[in-house]
Amino acid sequence: MKGLHIHGVSHAFDGLRILNNVSFTVPAGELVCLLGPSGSGKSTLLRIAAGLERLQEGRVTIDDEVVADPSSQVAPEHRRIGLMFQDYALFPHLNVLDNVTFGLPAAKSATARARALDLLEQVGMTDHIEKYPHMLSGGQQQRVALARALAPKPRLLLLDEPFSGLDTSMRAVIRKETVSVLRDSGVATLMITHDPEEAMYMADRIKILGNGGRVLQQGTPSEIYYHPVDEFVATLFGPVNRFEGIVTAGAVESPLGRIDTAGMDEGSKVDVLIRPEGLMLGTENGAHGGVPVEVLSTRLLGNSNSILLKRAGEDGPEFQARVTEDFDPFEVGPILARIDARHAFVYRKEEAEPGPGPVCSQVKYGTTADQGGKA
Amino acid sequence: MEAFQSRSFSAAQVKAAFVRADGWTLGTIVLTLAAVIPVAAVVGIAFTPGDDIWGHLVSTVLPTYISTTLQLGTGVGAGTLIIGVGTAWLVTTCRFPGRKIFEWALLLPMAMPAYVIAYVYTDILEYAGPVQETLREIFGWTTKREYWFPEIRSLGGAISMMTLVLYPYVYLLSRAAFMEQNICVLEASRVLGRGPWRSFFTVALPVARPAVVVGVTLVLMETLNDFGTVDFFAVSTFTLGIFDVWMNMNNMAGASQLASLLLFFVILLVLLERFGRRKQRFHHTTTKYKALPGYKLSRGRETLVFIACALPVVFGFLLPSGVLVGFAVVFFEDAANFKVLGYAINSIGLSALAAVLAVGIAIFMAYGVRMHGGKILKPVTRVATLGYAVPGAVLGVGVIVALTTLDNGIDAFMLSTFGISTGLLFSGSIAAVTFGYMVRFLALSYGTVEASLTKITPNMEGAARSLGHGPASTLRRVHMPLMKGSVLTAAMLVFVDCMKELPMTVILRPFNFETLATFVHQFASDEQLEEASIGALAIVISGILPVLLLSYAIARSRPGQETAGQAT
Repeated sequence: MKGLHIHGVSHAFDGLRILNNVSFTVPAGELVCLLGPSGSGKSTLLRIAAGLERLQEGRVTIDDEVVADPSSQVAPEHRRIGLMFQDYALFPHLNVLDNVTFGLPAAKSATARARALDLLEQVGMTDHIEKYPHMLSGGQQQRVALARALAPKPRLLLLDEPFSGLDTSMRAVIRKETVSVLRDSGVATLMITHDPEEAMYMADRIKILGNGGRVLQQGTPSEIYYHPVDEFVATLFGPVNRFEGIVTAGAVESPLGRIDTAGMDEGSKVDVLIRPEGLMLGTENGAHGGVPVEVLSTRLLGNSNSILLKRAGEDGPEFQARVTEDFDPFEVGPILARIDARHAFVYRKEEAEPGPGPVCSQVKYGTTADQGGKA
Repeated sequence: MEAFQSRSFSAAQVKAAFVRADGWTLGTIVLTLAAVIPVAAVVGIAFTPGDDIWGHLVSTVLPTYISTTLQLGTGVGAGTLIIGVGTAWLVTTCRFPGRKIFEWALLLPMAMPAYVIAYVYTDILEYAGPVQETLREIFGWTTKREYWFPEIRSLGGAISMMTLVLYPYVYLLSRAAFMEQNICVLEASRVLGRGPWRSFFTVALPVARPAVVVGVTLVLMETLNDFGTVDFFAVSTFTLGIFDVWMNMNNMAGASQLASLLLFFVILLVLLERFGRRKQRFHHTTTKYKALPGYKLSRGRETLVFIACALPVVFGFLLPSGVLVGFAVVFFEDAANFKVLGYAINSIGLSALAAVLAVGIAIFMAYGVRMHGGKILKPVTRVATLGYAVPGAVLGVGVIVALTTLDNGIDAFMLSTFGISTGLLFSGSIAAVTFGYMVRFLALSYGTVEASLTKITPNMEGAARSLGHGPASTLRRVHMPLMKGSVLTAAMLVFVDCMKELPMTVILRPFNFETLATFVHQFASDEQLEEASIGALAIVISGILPVLLLSYAIARSRPGQETAGQAT
């Protein structure tokens, strides 16, 4: 089968495990994102796939050719891969055209030049072929780096945080262009990032790499977003409301209503996570339903409102909600809140956990990742 | 399953470590061994029982060698410390006419080998020289007994000569340290009520101390290395002792024993230098560029400061090179001939060969370290580049010992196997001289190349490798173009030092083979400086190249300085 296969790769630096039995596939024509916090070993995995880091354990194949196992390594220059660095690593002593032809056989030939010009046209850099890297903006450098990596028609393209060097306004544009160039080329692409939104936007499939170098979940963006396997994955997309509960009659009781817990043992302790966008607010007049809540504060975040609330008339926990409509809860009168089940997740509590778990709803990668690793 | 995994894991690591023993690693280790052999040979011979004259040396000349060397070291150390730190401070913090020029002119004496300036001053200051002649004419003296005049060919003379040409090391490093100091610290000291002088002694100098230590250490290494001056002045230092035992007594073991003892002093110096450099790091934390205070001076003080800065330049460079130019013009017909041209060609050819090889080896080793990580190779290369600290005389003896052993081995092997006697193949050949240069100056090229290589992000080779280029092609097409400037600098530094090199050349050169340095030394020793003037000038001129480069680099390294300086 075409594409990249990672089989049971483990890696350690000075006795510290960076990758732990990682396996996955990047089929030809697909864009796979490896999403994980810094320190999760995703860069190491990319370097192993490229051949820049020596494989310690496991196997890497590209298009059914074994390129690395513990006994032999194909040098990076013989793997026929493309690699794009976070800092682009354009050769400063070569102009744009020479950078792009660098990886082509007979770089000075007319064929090489034609191929390079073709790619530079795809990325919209035809007007700049005589320029040197230092004369280009960050976005332009990124385009040249992409063209350079694609020029030799690699079997696999590896992207290392390709957009992190760009400012926010530029990032969206470049991201869109890059996706379209990659779609046209049909190359198997593995991209690593720590930005969940970027992964959701770019990827056909996402692999979540947790601390300790273990793949926690793989799936399409919507699978990952709507069915996170554990707290760590659920909290990748932002802070959540979080409380503990006990399963009674196939559901767990919360101050804002019951949440279905199908398949969980009666009486087991659970953690409940509700995304801010999972709290739906409405007025008593509408056919909305829910429990009455008291709004404590509201902050306009631009395209949404962040609202702090609690159940009316109770001293219960506070909840964070996010609503997109133009909404002034202090004017519309009594508010009802209900939970959107798609954004509420229930996980069985770890019994072995000594002492109380973190009660803060603010997510910290470190603590949740530890739990994920032991799962 | 778990146990199986962990076992295969360690097996993989073993494998990985094994695979790394490739061409670059092997090559680096072989080159390092080659670089270490001369020193090892010296120590080896010294401790081999044989026709031992150690007892004889200890009871006769050794105490003199030690005390003379210590006196010379103390004198030159103190002299360069005062001149180097003093001028650096004045140029960095005071505003006076000509300061911009002095900033680089104070480096010029670096271009003068100590032996050249020694010949020139002897010519001027000896009994028959112009100075004493003028004095005699003025005061009507007729014989030497009627007046006192300092004897230039003495320990004091040697101290003066070396101080005059070596102080730029201290100047260079302490000036850099003064400039990198956070000026706010100095200003704080002023605000707290300490005047410029007290601020200097209580704040600026202590903070710059590590750099000053490194500078003085380098000076002392050069002092131990000197042969031409002490030979000419007949000052019995260790280096001269090694030559004496080697050339006149023809005793290899005795020379090696002296050399080993000298090595001991050198090790102390290397440790001192390392210590200084380690501490230096603490003080280079600020990246703030701020205009230096620029003390305004009164007219009288301005003149004093100007004279203080001018004296070292005049006596260390202008006067001696002026005398040489004068000789070269007046005695042009005697001085310019085909023989000198031949020696120049010898010098240039040999130095160029050594420069190319030293840079090539440096690139090979530095790139190998970069590719394979520093764990094994980095300490190895540090050993390989220790030669810079070893005096030329010691290395010369070591190279001869090593090559003679090699020659004898080859000869014995060829004789027993093929019945052919090969005789001495390497000893007393160009190869021997080149090898010696290489060992001594590898540190220069390696340091320059390595510094330049670390400025290139590793992603460069990652990109090149993923684009289908192997290590060699990546080096050629990516790193070499990026390092071009530094590679040229490295080659030039080695070239110039080889042009000046005297003690090793004297020991290692083939019979009747002269370089400019040996020729100048030979003729000047015979009081025929006029005829050697063009040769000496050629050495000085080649020595100016790195000085110009250095001052250019300094001027560029502190962008804030340009405007601040022009305001004066």
